[in-house]
Amino acid sequence: MLTIARSELRQILRNRLVFFSATIIPVGVSLLLITQRDLFSTVPSGVGLLAGVFMIILISMGLYTTAVSTLAARRQTLFLKRLRSTAVSDSSALAGILGPPVLIAIIQVTAVLTVLAVLTDIPAEIPLLIVSGLSLVAMMVGLALATAGITTSPEHAQVTTLPITMGTSAVAFWIGFTGTEELGTLKRLLPGGSATELTINAWNGGTDLVDNLLLLGPTVAWIAIGVLLAKRFFQWEPRR
Amino acid sequence: MNSPTVIDVERLNVSYGDFHAVKDLTFSVRRGELYALLGTNGAGKTSTLEVVEGHRAATSGKVTVLGEHPLDRRAVRPRMGIMLQESGFAADLSVRETLALIGSLSGRSDQPSRVLDVVGLTAKVDTRVSSLSGGEKRRLDFATAIYGSPELIFLDEPTTGLDIQSRDDLWDTVDRLREDGATIVLTTHYLEEAQQRADRIGLMHEGTLRMEGTVSELTGTLPGTISFVLDDAMAPHLPLPSSLTGTGKQLIKTQSLQHDLHELLTWAHAHDTELYDLDAGPTRLDDVFRSVSHN
Repeated sequence: MLTIARSELRQILRNRLVFFSATIIPVGVSLLLITQRDLFSTVPSGVGLLAGVFMIILISMGLYTTAVSTLAARRQTLFLKRLRSTAVSDSSALAGILGPPVLIAIIQVTAVLTVLAVLTDIPAEIPLLIVSGLSLVAMMVGLALATAGITTSPEHAQVTTLPITMGTSAVAFWIGFTGTEELGTLKRLLPGGSATELTINAWNGGTDLVDNLLLLGPTVAWIAIGVLLAKRFFQWEPRR
Repeated sequence: MNSPTVIDVERLNVSYGDFHAVKDLTFSVRRGELYALLGTNGAGKTSTLEVVEGHRAATSGKVTVLGEHPLDRRAVRPRMGIMLQESGFAADLSVRETLALIGSLSGRSDQPSRVLDVVGLTAKVDTRVSSLSGGEKRRLDFATAIYGSPELIFLDEPTTGLDIQSRDDLWDTVDRLREDGATIVLTTHYLEEAQQRADRIGLMHEGTLRMEGTVSELTGTLPGTISFVLDDAMAPHLPLPSSLTGTGKQLIKTQSLQHDLHELLTWAHAHDTELYDLDAGPTRLDDVFRSVSHN
């Protein structure tokens, strides 16, 4: 797995377009939001909203879209079939391919949230914030595997990833600006909804731990849905 | 003497929905032999190979490779090299990095520099795969298959895109591997390569194995031919039954080429008759291939 991950990281660093889309764009969007942070001071969620939105944007754009594009490209060029002609297991091959985007996304989120904490306040519940971030990473990996199953090429990924990237970002903004007092169940059940609320709670503090842990439920359910869909739709070779 | 079998396929069936690609296929490959699996387009050989190589599960039937289930990658792959029909390499990796990656994942150990020297890619070690020619990619593919000198090697269209010199070099390497005991499974559209190299050939058509045997066994199923141009006046007096081809040549089909050719030449000499454009030969593998695909 590590051998594959190293070669994937080498390819990411060598391919300027992939490197740009995997790193510069999410970081740039986040930095732009930081410079405009005063606009968010009037909403009830406060800086927690920024943290929740950053997390969703970075992980959906930096990890989810990159993972779908990479898997589609590796399938299209028969690299996945090549890996399956070796002794590595399917899970190791996937872990090796998705490891670098996951690592890059975690570094991005950590860096941007650290900047945010320096500019504003230190998050109230850091362990909970980490749990929220990791659950979001797992959800996006599951959804990426599922989306890759219906994505035929990297170009196609620009279309197939839109519902999740736009949807999760919209849900994050919706919850950030309006809270979960109204339509709370719906907002939490949407992909990324409960993770956004958990991130906001972890950043702002002052909420019940059990209630927060219950918010992991919908995210875990989306992870399971992603994995089930991936098992059903994921293809190792281009359709013949 | 029969060697132990390396590949055993019994009543293999492969279906895609309603389409039955492979039907009750049974064959085996013996240790140390070069077995060529040939067939028309859509004959089912790719599906068969995918099952035997462990890329696909069989719909039904029993397949063992090196005594193991082909889907048990950890058990089988370190002993098996696969040259895919299409390369499937990462474009942004160099030749050396690609071979080191695939080689290490194969579970076999070797020196990439040694293998690259064998396939003639030493000068390209630092070249990215995206900059390689089609023939160079095939040689890199071959390098991944022979990395660590596995005991079983699948060669899927190995010489497509290679120049004559590269083809000769590839077959020389295959010959050396066979001298060391390697078993080779070959698929190719170059029938002359199969005719020259294969110990046994399986001919597939429409999902079934229509013929199997050595080259002489397969070509022996069809008559040899003698063709020539003859003065019309002499044609009725020929000692053997003949037919006239579309190009105006007399054609004699024979199961006993040497005997009948001798009889024809003796007759021509005795009648002081010239046999113009004389051509005689046994059945070629492509004749057998055509007979299978037309039948």
